Amino acid sequence: MHHHAAHCETGVTAALFRDKGLDISEPMVFGIGSGIFFGHLPFVKWVGLPITTYRTQPGAVFRKTAKRLGGVFVTKKYRNPQKGMDEMRRVLRSGQIVGLTTNIYWLTYFPNRFRFQFNGHNIVVLREIENGFRVSDPVLDKPVDCLMEDLIRARFARGPLEPHGFMYYPVSINPHPDLRKACLKGMVDTCNMMLKIPVPFFGIRGIRYLAKRIIKFDRLLGFEEACRQLGMIVRMQEEVGTGGAGFRYMYAAFLQEAADLFGSSALRELSQDMTAIGDTWREFAVTAARIIKKRGKPSETFAKAGGLMMICAGREEALFKNLRDVIPTLKA
Amino acid sequence: MKVKDVPQDNTVEYYEGVKRACYAVNEEGKYVIVPSSGWREEELINRLAVEELAANLEKTRKAVLAGRKSPLAYHMERRQMTPQILGKTAGIAVFRVKRHLRPEGFAKLNDSLLERYTKALAITAAELKTVPRD
Repeated sequence: MHHHAAHCETGVTAALFRDKGLDISEPMVFGIGSGIFFGHLPFVKWVGLPITTYRTQPGAVFRKTAKRLGGVFVTKKYRNPQKGMDEMRRVLRSGQIVGLTTNIYWLTYFPNRFRFQFNGHNIVVLREIENGFRVSDPVLDKPVDCLMEDLIRARFARGPLEPHGFMYYPVSINPHPDLRKACLKGMVDTCNMMLKIPVPFFGIRGIRYLAKRIIKFDRLLGFEEACRQLGMIVRMQEEVGTGGAGFRYMYAAFLQEAADLFGSSALRELSQDMTAIGDTWREFAVTAARIIKKRGKPSETFAKAGGLMMICAGREEALFKNLRDVIPTLKA
Repeated sequence: MKVKDVPQDNTVEYYEGVKRACYAVNEEGKYVIVPSSGWREEELINRLAVEELAANLEKTRKAVLAGRKSPLAYHMERRQMTPQILGKTAGIAVFRVKRHLRPEGFAKLNDSLLERYTKALAITAAELKTVPRD
């Protein structure tokens, strides 16, 4: 039942589909739901630092995947915690597992260092147990127990992106969905998001914008603050739940599966390109860590880190343009 | 990333035995999930952020002991909350929360407000009125 996944939302979505008998992998959900993205929001601060994201906004992957695979889901938010918990119990008693959006700080089964005030963590609840629930958290390698009071707090936490006890579960799922069509939709959507958003903070433009900023980081912000911000960028990239390299490897895994599905060698090549891009992102993380750790070793500079990110931007642009050209040649 | 390149740095202190899933390419060139026991570079960067939080919390604790801030400020920070989040959780306006972060404001709190704070922060009333001595 429990599958170890790299990312919470894709992991939960895949688990709900699998529970209904459609065997689908996490990367497939990630690709069909157009999960890959890039965004840097210099004016929106979280714990005092600008937000950098390597994926679409929380909830989007689930919504898009459900739509594109033709699954009918019940999604519900609650004002009243008691009502939210009662409804969940009722659904669990009927033998249906449910997905929840929670605040990760209050999930005490996590090691302390993972716990921070973030309202977008997704989990699957399997069944009720004494004074709590059996929870399958896709990010962990086995199911865990969650205390009742923790779960109430986590579901009804306040602050940015309040979950309002968001709960979702499938009513019916198409047992033989048109996977090819869904993949194509996901890929087109992704290409548009990466290439076409006419604001400099998103997609390829966003990567370029941030890369240029990093090159000037220590002059703009001073060394200490520059290190803090750089650390945040790498944290969002390598933090648990990304599959490594800011979801780039997971997307490569999706392209590979899609290549098998379509029997397309072009997609297989793109998957290999994506892996190489992921490796460059990781090199960037290593360089950043060295800048922060060594504090002044001459060869590891902000210019080098920014340069690596610039390379990522160029290669991702080429990749998504190629993908856009490959899509019409694939038969739905 | 190849399967053999998946970091296995065993950063026990950070992961506490939890393994994270990484996508990597195996010998046949196929993507598989490989559990990783941690990556040193990632731990370093994360530790920095955690240490910063701890240092700020320690500063607040000293400020409370010196009488410059109220214990509520300490407990709010311990829960990684801001006055905005705490205000919403406890159902108290942000400007009032900010007032209660000062010792004078905190001293005037009545029982019902104290109870709302203890509920929001998941601590006991006795805990809320003090901070650890050392």
